[in-house]
Parts: sequence; C-alpha cells; structure tokens
Amino acid sequence: MTRCRILHSADVCDFGRKYSQRASIDYVSCLVAWHYGKAGSSNRLPVFRLWFLFIMEGRGSAVNTPARRPVTRRSKSYGRSCVEAPSYFWQTPGHLTVLRVPTSRGAAKSQIITDKVDPEHIALLVKNEWKLCYVTPLHGFRHTQLKSYSKHLSAFMVAEKQRGVAVEVGLEVGFTVTFTALLGMAETEEDAETVFIQIQSKPVFAAAGDAPKVVWRGWLTCVNGDPEYLRSLPPDFVSLPLFCTSGPESLTALVKSWFERAFDCNFGSLGLNSTTLNWLAALWTGCHPTSNIRYLKLAWRMPTQPPLDVSYTVNPQDAWGLWNSIHPEESTEDRIEIKDVQSFMNGLETHFFRHFKMYLSAGTLLKVSTALGSVHLDGKIKIGNSEYITTLLTLLTECALLKMPT
Amino acid sequence: MAELSNLTGLAPDQSGETDSTVSTASNRSLRLAEKEKKKGEADPFGLAVKYLSRVEAGTVVRGNDELERSLVVVETVALSNGLHPDVIAVLLDLALSLNAGTANCTRVLKFLIPATVVPQEAIVRGVSWLCAGKMPMNAQVFFVRWVLTVFDLIDCKDHLRSIYGFIFSFVTEENLCPFICHLLYLLTMREHVHAYRVRKLLDIQAKMGRQPFLTQLLALYKVFRPDLVTVSVPSRVRTGFKNYNAPWKVALSAVQRKNKGAVLVDQSLSLDVKEKPLSRKRKLHHLEIPPLSSVFDSNAKRKVFGLQELRSFKQLLENIDNIELPAQMGSLLGSALSLHYLDCVQDESAFLRLNFWLGHSLQEEFLLCPVDGSSDNTSEACRFLSTILSSQQFLQEGFSSTESFLYKFLSVWDGCLLRPQILDLLSDIPLMPSFYMRKLLFEPLKQLYFSSTVFFKCSVIECLNNMLVKWLTWHSVSVVKGGLDISLNSNSTMAMTLSGFMDSVMELVRFVGLLASEGLRLENCHVLLLNQTLAFYETVCDMFLKFSLPLIIMLPAGVFYPALFATDSVSVDRLGYIMYRYRKNLTLAKRQEKQREQTFHISRNTYKEFNRNLQAMVNSMWNSSWCLPGSDLEVDKDLIALSKVAEPWCCFDLIHHPALFSYAIEFHQKCWPERKDVDLGSIKAGKYWNWYMEFLFNQGFDGLNNFIQTNTGHSSSSLSSRDDRQPTSQP
Repeated sequence: MTRCRILHSADVCDFGRKYSQRASIDYVSCLVAWHYGKAGSSNRLPVFRLWFLFIMEGRGSAVNTPARRPVTRRSKSYGRSCVEAPSYFWQTPGHLTVLRVPTSRGAAKSQIITDKVDPEHIALLVKNEWKLCYVTPLHGFRHTQLKSYSKHLSAFMVAEKQRGVAVEVGLEVGFTVTFTALLGMAETEEDAETVFIQIQSKPVFAAAGDAPKVVWRGWLTCVNGDPEYLRSLPPDFVSLPLFCTSGPESLTALVKSWFERAFDCNFGSLGLNSTTLNWLAALWTGCHPTSNIRYLKLAWRMPTQPPLDVSYTVNPQDAWGLWNSIHPEESTEDRIEIKDVQSFMNGLETHFFRHFKMYLSAGTLLKVSTALGSVHLDGKIKIGNSEYITTLLTLLTECALLKMPT
Repeated sequence: MAELSNLTGLAPDQSGETDSTVSTASNRSLRLAEKEKKKGEADPFGLAVKYLSRVEAGTVVRGNDELERSLVVVETVALSNGLHPDVIAVLLDLALSLNAGTANCTRVLKFLIPATVVPQEAIVRGVSWLCAGKMPMNAQVFFVRWVLTVFDLIDCKDHLRSIYGFIFSFVTEENLCPFICHLLYLLTMREHVHAYRVRKLLDIQAKMGRQPFLTQLLALYKVFRPDLVTVSVPSRVRTGFKNYNAPWKVALSAVQRKNKGAVLVDQSLSLDVKEKPLSRKRKLHHLEIPPLSSVFDSNAKRKVFGLQELRSFKQLLENIDNIELPAQMGSLLGSALSLHYLDCVQDESAFLRLNFWLGHSLQEEFLLCPVDGSSDNTSEACRFLSTILSSQQFLQEGFSSTESFLYKFLSVWDGCLLRPQILDLLSDIPLMPSFYMRKLLFEPLKQLYFSSTVFFKCSVIECLNNMLVKWLTWHSVSVVKGGLDISLNSNSTMAMTLSGFMDSVMELVRFVGLLASEGLRLENCHVLLLNQTLAFYETVCDMFLKFSLPLIIMLPAGVFYPALFATDSVSVDRLGYIMYRYRKNLTLAKRQEKQREQTFHISRNTYKEFNRNLQAMVNSMWNSSWCLPGSDLEVDKDLIALSKVAEPWCCFDLIHHPALFSYAIEFHQKCWPERKDVDLGSIKAGKYWNWYMEFLFNQGFDGLNNFIQTNTGHSSSSLSSRDDRQPTSQP
C-alpha cells in the first residue's frame, strides 16, 4: 500500500531522463508511519529492527560530554606555546578550536520564554530571517553603556555615509540607532545578556508625518555558551559569539566595522554543517507532542549535473513516530545521542531510497524547516516559535564558539 | 638657445632685473652666463616655472622650444611629485589666460596635480577667466571638471562661496550645466538658496527635461528651503553626478600615496607599511592591517598619546608611560614604532586581542575560505604573511595564534601555497614538549616531506635548522640570565625543565635525522639536500660549545656515509668540519665532566658512535683501508672482487676520493707537467704528500684541514687515547 504523492512535475520515471535545467523533486511522505508501525511484526523491514538493537546498546553507553579541560590564558600571549597542557585542541582532529563537538545533548524543552523575557523583545526575534555571523569576544563592551553606543554608532554611520563625494545626500542621512538589552535570554551565569540593535531611518524628502522606517536589525547573543571557555576570558572581554543580522549588506558591513573599531573584535560568516541541521531536525521532531511542528521539510541538493534539488516533506506525526521508535519518549534520561540523530536521518533517507532508488546521503542537506523554525546550511535561520528558542540558540552559540580562533 | 628665444620675439622684458631670463643672457658676460647655466642645471624646474610665469599674451606658441621645454619639465615634476600651491596658481593662470595657446590650456590642466592643497584664490581667478568668455567651450568644461576633482583639496572655500552668483550664471550654458550643477551642489549653503535661483533651475529643467543633476541640485535646495521649492522631488533621487575625475585620477592618487609615504617613512623604520591597493574590491577585508586609531571613548582628562601621533623613537621613549593602546591591536603590526611599544606591553588582554585578530584573519583566509588560486588573493595573502613574519622577527618571538594556526594548517597544506612564508613562520614556532611536537608538527610534516620534490625537502630541512637555531639561541640567553632551569616565559604558566628542553631538542634532531637519511636515500643523495642536511648538523654538533646545551647527538649513518662518499668536495669538506667540531665539543664535555663531577653526563654510546665515525673517516681518507672488519662498513671481500676495481681500499683516500680526484690530477699536472701517463700514486711519496696537503688546503678546504690537523699527530688531545686507531701522519 505504497502511496506516493509527487507534488511537482518530476515523476519517478524522470530520474532516468536527462534534465535540461536544474531539476527538483518535491516529495511528501505519508509512509513513515506505516513502516515503523509494522516494524515490530513484519520481517520486511529488518533495518528498523536492527535499529532497536542498536539503540538498546546505545542507551547504556550514554555518557555526558567529558569535561573539557580549562583554557588558561597566559599573560604574554605571543611567545608562549599554545600547547600548554590545558588546551588540547588536537583532540578534535581537523577542528578549529579547543572546544569539543558534543556527541550528546539535552532534548528540546518547551519553555515559556515570555515569563523570563519581555514578550515585546521576543517578538523582535521571531518571524525574521536572520543571517548568522560569529564574533570574537568584544573587548571593553559594557551593557551599561548601550545609550552611548547608540549615539556613537549613528554618528559613525552618518559619517561613513557622507565620506567621499557628497553626492549621496538624499539617501538615509538620518539614522537612529537603538541598542536594547534583551534581559533574560541568558541561561547561565556566564552568558552575557543578548543585545539587540535596531537602525531606523527617515528619508530626507519624506513627509513630516512619516514614521521612521526600520532599515536594519541585528542582535548579539550567547545562550548556554561553554562555561569554561567563557570563564577563561579576562573580565574585560564580553563574549557574545553569535551575531544575527537582517537588513541590507551595506549596513551590516558598517555596523560590523564599527564594532571592530570599538571593541577590537572580528566577524566571520557562520556557515552551518549538516550535523547541526541533523540535530535540529531531530530536536524539533522530538517537540511534536508538546508543540505541533506541522511539517518536517528537508531540502537536499544532489551532486548531479545539473544539480538536482530534492525537497522532502514528512508528515509531522510520521516523523515523530520514527523519532519515538529510535528515542522513546518515556526514557528517563533526557539526553539524545548523536547516534540517535543519525539513525533518524538514516530512517528518512532509507524510506526515500525505497521509492526513488536514490541515496540522499550522497547529497548535501541544505535546509531543515518545521513550524518551530528553519535553518539553512549557509547560515540563515528563521525562528518560528519562541518556546523552543533556547534550544536553537544554544546550538547556534555552540557553532559560533567552535569558530573562535584559538 | 638664446638666439632662438630672441628669434621668437619673446623678450620684450628688458627691464634690467638682476634675475635671469635666458633671453637676456646674450648681453651679459660669459662668466655670468655660465653661472646662470649652472644654476639652471641645478634647478630646471624653478627656471621653467619662472619662465612660464612670464609668458604673456601674444607669445608665439608654435615652434617655441623654450615654452615646450619648460612645459615638459613642469609636467614631469607634476606627474611624479605633484605641484606646490603657488605653482598651481601660476600654471592655472597661464592656462586659462590662453597666453600659451588653447592647445596648451587643456594640456596644462591635465597635469595640474596638486602635491598638497589648491589655493582658493587660484580657483577664484580661474572663474574670473571663465567669465571673460574667451575660452573655448571644451576648455571651460575641462576647467570645471578639474575644479570638481580637486574640490576636496581646496584649502578654504569662503571666497569661492562669495562668488556663488557668478558660478550660478553658468548653468544656462548647456554644456557646462551638469558640471556647474555639481560644483554648486558642493558649494551651496542655506543663504545661497533664493527664489530666483530656484526659478532659473526650473526654467532650465523645463527646457532640458528632468536631468538628474538638476534634480539633485533642486533636491538640495529643497532640503535647505523647503518653502521655496514647491515642486515634488522624488524622495530617493538616484545619484545624479558622475565622477569626472578620470583624467587626473591615476596621477592624483599616485602622488597622494607617494606624499603620504614620505610622511610615514620615519614612522615605519624598517617595516614597510602595506599600502592599501586602491583598485581592489574585496568583500572580505580580513587581510588588511587596520589603521592605527585611538579608542573612541578615551577619557580626555588624562594626557595620553595615541600611537598614531608618535613620529620618532625618541618621542616613544619620552611618552612611554602615557601611551594609549590603539582601538584595534592588529594595527600595531603596521609600523616598527608600535612594534617597539608592543614589546613593552604587559597587558594580558592586549595580547589576547592581538591574537584574536590574527587568529581570525589567518583562519578566515586559509582555513575557512580556501584561496581560490587567483593571483590577486595569493599576493595579498603573501603580503599579510610577510608582515606577520617581519613582526615576529622584529620581536624575536612567534605569536601564539600563528602557532596554533600552523598546527591546523599543516594538516591541510599542499606544501605549495606560499611555501616560503609558511616555512618561515614554522621556524618561529617556540619550544614545546616533545610529545606535542610529534603529534602536531612531525606527523603532518613527514607526510608532506615524503610526498614532495627534493626542493621542498631541502626547504623543510632548512626550516627545521632555523627552528633549532632559534631554540638554542633562546636557551643560551636564558642560561645567561640565570639558572639552568629555564621557564618558557617569565609569566608563563608552563615552565619547562632543562631535561624537558633537551628531550624536545633530541626529538627534533632525531626527526631530522630520519627525514634526512630517508630523503637522501630516496633522492639519490641529492647534492642540495645533502648540503642542507650538513648545515643542520653544523648546528647540532656545536650545541654544547656554542649554545651551552649539554647535549651531543651524533649524525646518523644515513647522513654520515653519503657525505663521506659524496662526489662533491663541498660536502666532504663540510663533513670534515662537522667531525672537527664534534671532537671539540666532546673534548670539552669530557674535561668538564672530570672537573665538576656530574653536571651532566654524555653517554658512552655517543663517544663510541663518534669514534666509529671518526675511525671510518680516517681509515678511508687517510689510511686507505676503509673496509675494516667490525666497522659499519664491512663488505664481503668476494663481493668487492666482483666489482673488479683495482686496489679498492684506496678508492676513498685523499687522492682517489671522487670529490678530490680532480684536485689530485691538477696537482699531478703541476708537479710533473711533462709526464704523459698519470700516476697518482707518486703523490704519496715523501715531500709531495706534504705539498699535496698544502695544495688541497689552499683550495679552501678548511673543514678538512681542521679535521686532519686535529686528528693526526700534530695536535694532542685528551681524546686521542680513546681512539684505538689513530691515523699515522704518513701513509
């Protein structure tokens, strides 16, 4: 009773044909439920049963991330060796930092964030698409000085805009910059409070009554940042490693260069990797019983010529069923192992293979989205639901900290 | 020359001034003329300007060599160094008055490149010439374009603003209008906006259509006096003015850069400050060294100096306590003065900032965004790495972020990209415990080494040699400072004991020994590689004497024998030198060990190894008996017989050694020029042998000389008793 609904013009038989343009498959799965439902009794699906065994073993060995050794900063940082006993960065081969990539993490927990944080502030973060960056620790940043930062940044922006030939007058000369601390976003003692920046502009020729328009938004945050890393920084540094922006690139560049000058920090774009996307797919799916995720949408790009885009939409109930079969809800320990996540993704990919004879694992997972949010491989996110914002930001903070230069 | 000027009828000026127009030179004494000529040679530019300032209306232009020459002189100076404000005024007057002809008008304007500023009076005079209405239209346009280009360089604009009305009157000229509008746009103040001007502009707009330059100017008027401009101006006007600076752009920026460089010369004592390439457009700017600038909220109460204000080392010394760290620590790498300062900085955060910046730049460039191979990128990266290198050399220390970058980069490096820079950086790596060295450095390096060309192998050995020298130098300095137990840094949390240090050095030497032995085997004892290897062992053999590190490590057989049997004399000579130094070091070590008991202990094995090598060398070169039973070099007699070499034991003595053979032949020819058949054996006889030795040592084989002198009967050494087989002085 295989039901397969192809949404797009691409048919199953199309796979053999040559694609004249970039091809794409949109596939909505309703089948996973059926598969896992029968998994216990039917011997048609040995793969799933194997998983169960796998999981049983995995459960016993569930251990927390080994404590990372503290990173001590030496006073004269040049001319000393970076291989002092505590730093051990070679333990993650090929990785760029002293931090280790965790292999297990807590399940996403719903949290009424608005109890902690001003709902208005939360509303600022939800629904926008944010471009991610990482920032090295800010030197001399003080949350008490936000007012003066607002003034400085707006003055800086006007000065930069007017630099060179004065022909640009007429375009956004008046900038109003507001720095706001979104108190309550921080989860631990070490986390610095999130800072939200908004730039408004009033066109010169606008009518008197026109309200200034928000032209740019951005925020710096740190949620559940690695406590040992944060503690290792001298007190005059504030680490807000994750920088999300939304607005024209030129303004982003201006804000960045102001920050670089003011706090001697550096920005780099934060691309995510497929492991992060897999984690989010699993974590979000696990939330389904408490908060309807509505759909689990995954997008792959297959390395064919021309590239083939596959969009794979899974019924939330089915996705949750698969996840629950791998990671039963009733399990007492609330930790999820990377193995579980991989099994979950494997399950989805295997199902796809049964119908299309195509290994999705050969391609790149580009995007994961549910009603709770969406994440793109090149570092773009959308937050759909504030309840699970902490989980997402914890994961992204971790990614940003992994990019910190040592 | 003088006649020619006279012919052109140029010299109405006979007022008898003392100073020199060349035209008056004819009726002066010869001596004076000579003097003038000399003066002219000394300052052709001054003379040319003086001449040009005297060109009056009605001057014949065609065929006027004097004029032409002067123009050329001034033009050359203008394009290379720019012009002084006074000269600008003179030339502008000359051009716009059309005294030198219309053709020369645009020509002069074209090279009117200011060195510093443009005096506004010159511009005002220029506008008055414009009002005279003599100039052809293209010259007028050209002049206004020039004014727009140098607008930012005009020293003061108040007089220019006071003739706003005159300038405004030109908007009616169709050709001039766009440029005049731009100029007005730059000059307009609130008081310039009047109803009649707005009307005029609207009139023109009605005639010419909604030209962007008109709209732009009107928009500005509306900003100042919204009550006067009632027409609706679109809130977002597209940029209405084009850049008209094309003819001057290149020269102007070149001159400005040059002049800026002249100011900076003192500041950057030895380092060259990277010039920011103007043409390049790059989204990522992480490879730029940020400019020095002070922190934006520095409190003005205390008198502080920004580093950017410092001009000399003396100033730095005087203000060293009041200097404020710059906003971006990375900017310190830009100049030598600030590097001096960096050397004194004690602030932990400051170094952390520097390392964050440097680590970020390196990581973004080399690890996160791989270089796409375009030459532009590489040259920029090369410049960046060179800056880091020169800073590190200046400070005589490596930055820790460079170090950790290198550990990561080594595992992804192709061994090709920016090889010289990367290897140089690698040699700056500070000492570290041997365990980490193996993991972080040797493993990746080994892979690269064995999979690359012989030249890469040479550079790796050279790099490791430099690294060793730096470590040893550092050690010898810290020994002088006090104590044998050295700590890596006075403030460091990690102190390394002497034995730890020795372990690391031993590990490094062992590693190079392995690389060299295998490399020489793989590359067929390549001469370059052999020489790099011997250079390394020249450092190693002297560790005790030169760097007071009580450690003596012998060179492995895989290096020793290829050098001993090398076909080039340089390698053999170097080996002689190395063996000589080993002997010196060992002798001293032995003596010290006897004097003060147990300061350190050199293992019997080292002596044994040395003696074995010495024996092999002396036997083969001196005693002609290289194939001794029991030594490293035992070859089966029958096997040698198979080679059918006559007297195989003589093959590597000082006469028959392939590296020295040609010298022996030359010596033979000199001794017996008449002999037809060469009998090298006769060199061994009596006085000829001594002469041959002298002849050899006169060829510059100092290493061999030392080696033979110390190891033959001439010198007595404590070690000689240990050698069971001392060479005899005569074969």
